[in-house]
Amino acid sequence: MRKRRIPAALWLGGLVVLALLAPAAAPSPFYIDIFIRVALFAFIGVAWNLIGGYAKQLSLGHAAFFGLGAYTSTILLIRFGISPWIGMLAGGVVAMAASLPIGAVCFRLRGPYFAISTIAFAEVLMLLFLKFRDFAWGAEGTTIPNFGDSPLMMQFDAKAAYYYIALALLAIALAITWWIERSWIGYYLVAVGEDEDAAEAVGVNVPRIKRHIYLISAFLTALGGTFYVQYIYFIDPNTAFNFSISVEAALVSIVGGIGTLWGPVLGTVLLEVTSALLQSWLGSSHGGVQLTVYSLILMAVILWRPTGLLGLLSDAFDRVVNAASLRGPGASVDG
Amino acid sequence: MAEALVVSRLGKRFGGLQAVHDFSFSVDENETVALIGPNGAGKTTSFHLITGYHHPDAGSSVVAFGRELVGLRPHDICAHGLARTFQVARPFGNMTVLANVMTGAFLRDKRLDVARSRAREALDFVGLSAKEQTPAHDLTTIDQRRLEMARALATEPRLLLLDEVMAGLNPAEIDQAVELVGKLASRGLTIVIIEHVMRAIMAVASHIVVLDHGQKIAEGKPADVVANEDVIRAYLGSGYVGRAAGGDSRC
Repeated sequence: MRKRRIPAALWLGGLVVLALLAPAAAPSPFYIDIFIRVALFAFIGVAWNLIGGYAKQLSLGHAAFFGLGAYTSTILLIRFGISPWIGMLAGGVVAMAASLPIGAVCFRLRGPYFAISTIAFAEVLMLLFLKFRDFAWGAEGTTIPNFGDSPLMMQFDAKAAYYYIALALLAIALAITWWIERSWIGYYLVAVGEDEDAAEAVGVNVPRIKRHIYLISAFLTALGGTFYVQYIYFIDPNTAFNFSISVEAALVSIVGGIGTLWGPVLGTVLLEVTSALLQSWLGSSHGGVQLTVYSLILMAVILWRPTGLLGLLSDAFDRVVNAASLRGPGASVDG
Repeated sequence: MAEALVVSRLGKRFGGLQAVHDFSFSVDENETVALIGPNGAGKTTSFHLITGYHHPDAGSSVVAFGRELVGLRPHDICAHGLARTFQVARPFGNMTVLANVMTGAFLRDKRLDVARSRAREALDFVGLSAKEQTPAHDLTTIDQRRLEMARALATEPRLLLLDEVMAGLNPAEIDQAVELVGKLASRGLTIVIIEHVMRAIMAVASHIVVLDHGQKIAEGKPADVVANEDVIRAYLGSGYVGRAAGGDSRC
């Protein structure tokens, strides 16, 4: 078992170098676009995982926060000329504020009822932005004004710059998760996810910890929203509050490993790359086939590996090397 | 002796069912009180009412260590020094035994190393140290009960409410559990225990309260209670009244 022990820091270092060099290795902008999507959705997955994975509150309404982040920064940019960097943080704050009433209603419900109620909130927000045209351009949406290569306005000629921003966001979310996982908060979250009544019995203020982690998760998700509209230069309610964002956030964590540090990252790499490759292989010749294959892969993973692929990977790793850094909490929150 | 827990006029109605009615009892500090009664008598409901999982009906009062508990949430009540176990053990199944108990220890100290050493003390106390890295869902029934007690102990309670910790245990395990409850009591803890195993009750309790149909029908010293006609009638039926005296009171 202990033949060759490779320290966690070395694995992490290797991963970081690989991530940083990825754009240089990309043969075309198409690949950089995939990298950006991977980094962005891994980031949103990690943010979702805090509330959905550790505390097992399966939110399917994270598009609400994504959209609020996107709209807040865009409104500030177009109406007041405020840089999206500031708008990004403002969007995070708006999402936090929104998470309080949403949480106050949804956390009264458990299991599937909670999930459904979060969907409802995201849909209601989308409808509000669709109907109130004077407020935010209604259904037509708007393009983001182009300032050329302007880092202060979060606009770049080089596609790789967007990739590094998304990567930085991902790194921040992972660092927050890493810290939470190793503190009492991580233990409390997992306890809440396991059994709320039993958690209350040992002094966990369940409503409060849910509320707090939801705030953090909402804040981070909103940052992703701002980044996304800055990257695609366009916003409309259907883009910003799209249900597929909520699903993707949950799915990458579930496939990769729910309630684990690296699960959402692994899940995103797998799903996004699979989906992009299937799209380019099959999308043009056999329309729709790529979605079928994608769905089959999803079903296979969920049927055979319901705890996520990270477990599979880290089991295999454990047999060869020491991979402590790749392990999540749950059974491996140790002493 | 000072009173640790004073329950007065406790009541709970679920729709048409009066689960607990006008139930009063008190527990002195360092005393072990057993709450017994037939199935459905309202014992577990009373625990839920005392620990904040159910809201009692108007007029109920639960005072622990001088503070009214009615209206407080379970985690507040735990922070006030009342820890409980559940009738069906509810470990955090996917956490290790140690992580389970650390979760309890975080109530008093958020530092990881402090919580870890307190958790290890509690595990040592209940005799579960060897399994601290085992996932909780892999434990046997008695070990799950031990774990629940350790987790409750880690919150540093003054009053421990144990809900049928001996159900489902074999005779040898019951002896171990009785010994453990005795150890807890000698540590200065006040204990309220719901139990069906009479042998265990007679061994640990200094005072017994008997519930039937949500109402208190008897209380007193163990020897007196088991000879009480109302208690025999509730448990065995009126045909046994008068016959049981001096007989075997084991279930």
